[in-house]
Amino acid sequence: MAQTRRSFLRNTGVGLLTFYVGGCEVEMTPQEAREREIAYGVLTEPEVSTLDALGEILLPGSAAGGLAHFIDHQLGASPEDSLLMIRYLGVPAPFAPFYQGGLAALNALSVSNSNQPFADLSQEVQTELVGQFAQANPDGWQGPPGPFFYFVLRNDAVDVVYGTQEGVESLGIPYMAHIEPPSRWGE
Amino acid sequence: MTVPDEKVDAVVVGSGAAGSAIAAKLAVGGKQVVILEAGPERGNDDLISSGIWARRLKWGGAPVIEDGENPVGNVFNAGYGVGGSAMHHYAVWPRLHEEDFQSRSLYDEGADWPISYDDIRTYYDEVQEECGVAGDAEQETWRPPGAPYPMPGVPLFRQGEILAGGFEKQGMATAPLPLAITSTEYKGRAPCIWDGWCDSGCPIGALANPLTIHLPIALQAGAILATRSTVTRVLTSASGEYVTGVEYATETGEKKQLMADLVVMAAFSIQNPRLLLASSSGKHPHGLANSSGTVGQYIMTHPAALVYGIFAERTQCYMGAFGGQLVNQDSYTKNTHAESGAFGSYQWMIANAVKPNDLLGISNTRPDLFGNDLHDFMKNSAQHFASMTGVIEDLPVAENAVTLSDQLDANGTPLAKVTHTTHAKSKALWQAALEEGKAVFEAAGATEVWTGPQAGMHIIGGTVMGDDPQSSVTNSYGQCHDISNLVIAGSGLFPTSAGVNPTFTIHALTARAGDHLLANWGSIIP
Repeated sequence: MAQTRRSFLRNTGVGLLTFYVGGCEVEMTPQEAREREIAYGVLTEPEVSTLDALGEILLPGSAAGGLAHFIDHQLGASPEDSLLMIRYLGVPAPFAPFYQGGLAALNALSVSNSNQPFADLSQEVQTELVGQFAQANPDGWQGPPGPFFYFVLRNDAVDVVYGTQEGVESLGIPYMAHIEPPSRWGE
Repeated sequence: MTVPDEKVDAVVVGSGAAGSAIAAKLAVGGKQVVILEAGPERGNDDLISSGIWARRLKWGGAPVIEDGENPVGNVFNAGYGVGGSAMHHYAVWPRLHEEDFQSRSLYDEGADWPISYDDIRTYYDEVQEECGVAGDAEQETWRPPGAPYPMPGVPLFRQGEILAGGFEKQGMATAPLPLAITSTEYKGRAPCIWDGWCDSGCPIGALANPLTIHLPIALQAGAILATRSTVTRVLTSASGEYVTGVEYATETGEKKQLMADLVVMAAFSIQNPRLLLASSSGKHPHGLANSSGTVGQYIMTHPAALVYGIFAERTQCYMGAFGGQLVNQDSYTKNTHAESGAFGSYQWMIANAVKPNDLLGISNTRPDLFGNDLHDFMKNSAQHFASMTGVIEDLPVAENAVTLSDQLDANGTPLAKVTHTTHAKSKALWQAALEEGKAVFEAAGATEVWTGPQAGMHIIGGTVMGDDPQSSVTNSYGQCHDISNLVIAGSGLFPTSAGVNPTFTIHALTARAGDHLLANWGSIIP
């Protein structure tokens, strides 16, 4: 069931996403969605496994923070409503092929090098692979440009970990939102 | 709001800074005005403070194909929805200098404007009084003549104090950055609380955006604002001598027409030429208002010179305005760095407020870091980071242009293709600025100093104004040389980019154009 544009817009800005559980709208953060094992709408389970593993290398804590649910949810939005940073990085919509192509390329590289999917590699080997495609396309890489894929996914991970009020405050700085400003012009 | 079926006095395409300002002028002047906005409706309640949320303020319309070595970054720089790109602009409002208007005459580089500073000076004064600009005119020793700012300069936080020390040690001056942000209560608007959320849209009226200033004036005076109304073509008379209105697509894709005596194109520097080129006809085979062949040409941006540093003490880098706290224009004279093969002006926006994430956030100043190294960097930088941004003049190049793609959007309009490669002398200026910026940070006591890649800030040109109909699209009021009742508004008119942010000048030019149109309505309208 597709959620309404209004409910999509209403909640995503404050860190909440609207999911459908048992036919009802349920609002939760990406982290809560992960903890409740909410089904994915665009990404497959193997893609999510790769994404979670990649996220943990890019920024530890991002998988538990709901990186996969955040990306999956936003891939279901129209380009106009998308909150993914990729929207202003020159990639034509839809954005799902970019993510899925990059994850497939990473897994193919992993299988080619180690005969295992990326998620099953040791963290040391995962880190080495990420370091490779962050610099240049590895030999045989078949997907979006490796350094660009790294840049986009790294930003998504940063969004999930440090882009929320909780994340900002975890750095010891105040969030200072205008969500409930003391006075609004025009009222 | 409902678009009327009958002919109106003026249709304005786009509701950003230029569109809302011209609509307000014309509506207050007694004209019936309809503003057609391609994007969604937006109110203050939609302006949630979040770098993630703010992405919805960016361009969300038909894709723009970018080409060249230095893309202008359309989606990042353009806006979508009510208020346009001004909803995420940083409200840095310096004036152009006298020499900006005479670059070709004085230096044999760039282009001359069809006006001088004196022609626009009183409009800068009028606009700063209307919109509210905070600054210190006396401390800005580079500032061209004009009325003092109506509000005192913005407060200084620790980051600004530290970097000001670096400039002082280098023998360079600083002054409060002129900002269209309330440093005190101003005309009923609350003072800014310096939370650094400017580019997420300011919902409290502290920042002079269209929702706060000109759209309320326009609507109060009877203007109609229609959203989800995408103009697809400008309509002309059978003779092709004047325009008669526009064709637009509704949210459902239905094509409609709105007839008007005056058409004002205020859809920004890429969509304006796109629509003119897409409105070709037998009478205008190369696009509307394009007898000169220059529609789409001379697209410019400001190459941003990004300088970063870490300091031992805490910087409060999350406080202040996104645009910065201080300004330096010591290198504004255009041949200052001629020995480096550079040409043009630049200014420093000093001590930008930063947030952890997003394209301009702390994390992307070191894109090479990941894993726990990135966590460590974020924790340290949140307390000790500082930055400043150089606004570098981009010389106009005819080949940097908007053209039409073979691809069509959902309404059947060809997509825009934008090509931009920075002129070698502008690249040299960007490099010279970076060297100067690093020296300032080192003098200020930074323990680490580094710089960012070249990035495009603002989009300028594409429908440049001039005295010669053979080499420009419009006259100094934005009236197309070929068609008197077709007017362009916005930064697309600028013949050169100058080395300062464009929005104040957009407003001054628009105010001047509005007065001219109202005073000469009878001779302009067929």
